Amino acid sequence: MNRGDIYIRGWGAVTTLGWSASESAHHLIAGDVHKAGVCLSSHLTNRDFKAFEVAYDGNPLDKSLKMLDASITEAFERAGLSASEIAESALLVGTTGGIFIRNEFEFTESVRQNPGKESPPIACRNRGPGEVADMIAQKYGIRGLPLTFSMACVSSSNALVVAAQLLSQKKIKRAIVIGFEPLLNLTLQGFASLLLYDSEQCRPFCNMRSGMQIGEAASCVILEEGASLGGGKNKFLFSGGYLFNDNSSLTSAGTDGELVKNVVLQTLDKAGIAPEGIVAVKAHGTGTRDNDLSEGRGLAKVFGEKLPPVISIKGAIGHCLGAAGTVETALWLSCLEEGTIPCSFGFTEVDPEIGFAPSQVNLPARDGAYLFTFFGFGGTCTSYVITKNP
Amino acid sequence: MNTTMNDNKTISSIPVIAASYLGPALVPNQDVAWDEAALPLNPDDLVQKIMGQPMRRAGRFIKLVCCGALTCFQSVPKETLQGKKVGIFLATGLGNIDEILPFITQVFKHDGGFPSPNQFANSVSNAAAFFLARVCEVKGVVLTISQEELSFESALWLAQSYLAAGEIDLALVGGCDVFTPTIDDYHERMNLQPGSYRAAPMGEGSSWLLLGGNGEKKIGDILSVELSSSLTDIKKVSSDDLLKQCEGLAAGLLPQSEDQKISCLLLPGFRLSGIDEAWGDKSGWDIDDYLPHCGISSTASAYGLARALLSRKSTLIVHCNYHATGRQALVTAITA
Repeated sequence: MNRGDIYIRGWGAVTTLGWSASESAHHLIAGDVHKAGVCLSSHLTNRDFKAFEVAYDGNPLDKSLKMLDASITEAFERAGLSASEIAESALLVGTTGGIFIRNEFEFTESVRQNPGKESPPIACRNRGPGEVADMIAQKYGIRGLPLTFSMACVSSSNALVVAAQLLSQKKIKRAIVIGFEPLLNLTLQGFASLLLYDSEQCRPFCNMRSGMQIGEAASCVILEEGASLGGGKNKFLFSGGYLFNDNSSLTSAGTDGELVKNVVLQTLDKAGIAPEGIVAVKAHGTGTRDNDLSEGRGLAKVFGEKLPPVISIKGAIGHCLGAAGTVETALWLSCLEEGTIPCSFGFTEVDPEIGFAPSQVNLPARDGAYLFTFFGFGGTCTSYVITKNP
Repeated sequence: MNTTMNDNKTISSIPVIAASYLGPALVPNQDVAWDEAALPLNPDDLVQKIMGQPMRRAGRFIKLVCCGALTCFQSVPKETLQGKKVGIFLATGLGNIDEILPFITQVFKHDGGFPSPNQFANSVSNAAAFFLARVCEVKGVVLTISQEELSFESALWLAQSYLAAGEIDLALVGGCDVFTPTIDDYHERMNLQPGSYRAAPMGEGSSWLLLGGNGEKKIGDILSVELSSSLTDIKKVSSDDLLKQCEGLAAGLLPQSEDQKISCLLLPGFRLSGIDEAWGDKSGWDIDDYLPHCGISSTASAYGLARALLSRKSTLIVHCNYHATGRQALVTAITA
């Protein structure tokens, strides 16, 4: 997408740090961050995996739907959207699991309520990833175009870039972009089967890192075209974004950093910003050997000696998979609103192959351009620039 | 490209360079009888024929995506694709359940034992698009889009937008859904309530269009993709109202001087009842009831459109589809 007057009008998020983006940011800035722990949700069958779980006293299906509602409500309130504005908005959703949690919850409940009986085969009753958008549209009266991206870890970041593209073309008036990813046995066990977990801690860019840790989240970011919002709502400009699919590897963005470098340079070009104009980088930073090496080398190639502060939020909230794009954006914006660039958690030792440390202290968030990067399964790469007080 | 409107209704006419359709019988570009009770058929012979080698580690969804799309992609000369930025837009309503269910069954069966990493990798939602991009040697815009029974129309709309923006030169747009193990599950997953769909067997398939280019050697044009913002009670959709809508579209799209030379064809989606040959006789429109050939699936509309584009000449095609909530999707196309 190319530059345009696309502003972020509102955002909301539920993370392991809190039931709103504001609360999550407050905890992140204060350093009130806990390591991933053993999951308590009743539908999760294996207690060996550590993840960043959202605390809730109740059944996990209800929890995930309440997370979704809380993030949307926060975003709508922050944006001050009227009912008619909500109705005419397009709805773009990024999710991999959709409401698959319903299948897992119903199955585990059925097994629990029938002790001693042979387990039935698990049924698949969810209606595909698009069901989330349908449910949200019906609940909030959204009549604009619904569009769901089911693209692993870049699902909601892709949705943001596509939304901005459609806004710049004036195909839609406003975009409500959702990221939704509850904890699932499917993904927890899946990443375990790929041997991608760090059993101790999520340690982005650290030489001691040995894998990722999953988090759960629901999040919402509202984009709108035009600078006429007034009321102090034009604080954040979506300056440009780029998405690219590489077909070289299903699981790696190429550890020489060339792919990451090219994606970032394309993004900066789309945003019309030189590398030295970037205030800080909100990196993907999963804590896996390959991702952080690809990304670290790529960023070093783009910025050289003038590397701005690099931060991964995943040490604090985990990798929220399809929701990562919107939840990390929402949390980051709430931090910027508080005047702070948060520090990166989980780091202790520079990886000589990467050659830099992520930011270890909170920094003042000055006005200017912030780079966001996301890389995912299937060769997917998404990146964008958001400018504070343009 | 001819832009006619500028919102999420009518957008632009886009040349269709190639099309392919594949239904439950797994015979590309042909109507072949099949039996719902025998589904799913083994796709390995088809894979061998189209891919030239087996896809041993891939699941059914990935195989059908690749076979359907390659049938379309390989039907155009290489020079048509040379140096072109191709975007892939894979639409699926239910996704790759053939990989997800065995994996999650293994997870629960073994209480967190050692499920297959390969099966998990293939179960990730965009794995099929990755494999397709690899076999087509496409890098760049590769999107997996899902919007229940309007998935294909949504992907088509988005592909048009990307073509119009100049982000890509060509768009390979298709829909693929595979059969869920039981018919009852499939009914539930498709949100098929009594009275909300036509009586037809459950199906599956992978059907594709290659769009864009300068219009040389095209088989037709996609004239418009209209996704309504209003919701209609599907049970109250009258055939007269639909006829008025179709005639309105035809009047707006067909030059008056050519009216007499072009026949008009309606393709009814699986939510739309009461559209039969009698309606056709009354209205003067041809009806192509493609559903018995492909069965009900979330992306059946891709089959209907691709089949009509390949089989009809000088025809204005209107595909009418509804989501269960009553959101209407109208696609219009014209064949060369």
